[in-house]
Amino acid sequence: MASPRASQYVIYVGFLAILAVFSILLRNEGFATPGNLVNIVQQTTPVTVMAVGTVFVLTAGEIDLSIGSTVAVSALLAALVLRHWPWPAGVLVGLGAGATIGALNGAMVAYGRLPSFLVTLGTMGVFAGVGRRLTDLRSIPIENDAFNGLFGSSAPFGVPSLVLWTIAAVGIGYFVFGETRFGAHVHATGDSADASRAGGIKVLRLRFAVMLMSGVLAALAGLLYAGRLNGARYTLGEADLLTVIAAVIVGGTRLTGGVGSILGALVGSLLMGMLNNGLILMGFQPSDQMIARGLIILIAVALTLRDPTR
Amino acid sequence: MRQPTIALRCAMASLALSGLFVCASVAIAGETKGPGGEAATPSSALTLTDSEVAKIKDGKYTAALLWHTSSDFVNAVTAGATDEFNRLGMPVVAQTDAGFDAAKQKSDVETILAKKPSAILALPLDPVTSAEVFKPAVAAGVKIVLLSNKPKDFVQGKDYVTIVTDDLFQMGKHAADALAAAIDKKGKIAWIYHDAQYYVTNQRDNAFKATIESDYPGISIVAKQGLADPARAQDIAQALLLKNPDLDGIYVTWAEPAEGVLAALRAAGNKHTKIVTLDLSEPVGLDMVKGGNVVAIVADKAYELGRAMATAAGYGLLDKPAPQFVVAPVLTVTKGNVVEGWRESLHREPPQSILDALK
Repeated sequence: MASPRASQYVIYVGFLAILAVFSILLRNEGFATPGNLVNIVQQTTPVTVMAVGTVFVLTAGEIDLSIGSTVAVSALLAALVLRHWPWPAGVLVGLGAGATIGALNGAMVAYGRLPSFLVTLGTMGVFAGVGRRLTDLRSIPIENDAFNGLFGSSAPFGVPSLVLWTIAAVGIGYFVFGETRFGAHVHATGDSADASRAGGIKVLRLRFAVMLMSGVLAALAGLLYAGRLNGARYTLGEADLLTVIAAVIVGGTRLTGGVGSILGALVGSLLMGMLNNGLILMGFQPSDQMIARGLIILIAVALTLRDPTR
Repeated sequence: MRQPTIALRCAMASLALSGLFVCASVAIAGETKGPGGEAATPSSALTLTDSEVAKIKDGKYTAALLWHTSSDFVNAVTAGATDEFNRLGMPVVAQTDAGFDAAKQKSDVETILAKKPSAILALPLDPVTSAEVFKPAVAAGVKIVLLSNKPKDFVQGKDYVTIVTDDLFQMGKHAADALAAAIDKKGKIAWIYHDAQYYVTNQRDNAFKATIESDYPGISIVAKQGLADPARAQDIAQALLLKNPDLDGIYVTWAEPAEGVLAALRAAGNKHTKIVTLDLSEPVGLDMVKGGNVVAIVADKAYELGRAMATAAGYGLLDKPAPQFVVAPVLTVTKGNVVEGWRESLHREPPQSILDALK
């Protein structure tokens, strides 16, 4: 297998190659226009934000399957609060919901010593149900312009707020992951929990922290969806789990822990968005879009993750 | 046709619960009315003259289809729309499937706008969030024709051309008429309704019940059984038959649970009880043509829905005033017209098994 760093370059090259192919094939269809490219970034922002959290979780050797359910619960709670309260209250409640779910997951994984796959499989179901119960399947409109602007449609200095959120999430994630002791501990724990423990790393606390982080970032993704749609609905985030995991893995993060890449996750997320966008513009039927997307992801995986020793 | 998945039912339930579903003002009194109480215009009234068609062709317009999901129903609507757009010289430049995800539908709208379509046909997933979803298309001056559902605060003639939908009341009424005819307008029947806040089935189920109660005094509904999960239809039917072994007929809310009811009747060796259900399905249709328990299936004309939507897009492009609210006709399919029924509803031949059984 190519080294993680080398395989990461392959995904960047692959991304640029697909971008070039779409730009040529769709040169008269508006694909490469600035407006459409910004669209792709905006459309993928919630997935990118969740992908940043997922890089930490996977690198630490855990997994969080409950992010999709967290998106819906936080978005709906924020929307309900925003009916009567100003935007900071909605944001606080929305992020608080994500933190609560993340802390619950983290406590069971770290201190309950339960496998994160099964814990979050359970909480995924629980909070999917909670999301449905919260409003009896009703959608909740958000008429708070400040909230909708902040998380959706505003463009300070001409830059859409969703693009800024992408930059902020990736920038902070990149710094924490690569430049801080916490980030180094995440890598070390995912690589070998026993060695990390022997080296003095508080492995349980770290596991709790990454699950908490994942919950908060999923909640932020929920707020971004709610701001973009000026409303919340129980289906938000429902289909995102596999997209997030695919983006992160294609971006060079190892499912088995120890290796991760924030920039790779960003590229993976943009790749997913670009495929959705480009395949629609190519005029494919929805079923053909699915087939083409699956095949391109397979090729990307073959190029980046092939392991000859298997 | 539009009820086969849990996801769909949940999605539609949310639409219904929001109180903003386009037909929210439909009364069970006897006809389908529009969101503001507008009288329904039959889809056949939407027509374009030769000179209007020529004018549209000269405009070199294009169209995009933004659907909520992929299904047999969507395929038939797409076929109707595409054929009509071809007649109008309007290529369909993009087609999307939002997978019941409002956020995906928003991305789909943004994406297809890069192709600058002149018209969009769409089923907005959610009245509350759809206003934001379709706002960029309205701002871009695209002519929007809606299927079944209206984004909140959208104004007909300004934000969209018209809404086209099924005639839900007539679907329930046709089912009642068909079952009544099959049991000579007298006897005991069971009413298996969809036990969920789901606008489409609720309207159809209630129309069936209201028609039986008002038009057929010789028929009594002796069992009313709600059904939330179609996979449990067989269990429910078995219990029902245990308590009411002498049922003459059963109304089943749609075809998928009707398959379970059919299985229960077969297991009990019951050849007497007649079934009427809604939406075409191969197993149910096959039982019908083989002379089994199923006597009729009521279906919508999905292909016609698509044709009417594309024609309405032409109205929008010509600035020709369109009716506010358009309904597509209903069809009762029996053994005698099963081939025509399949063609009219889904615009394709019936499944081979049904054709073989007819030989």
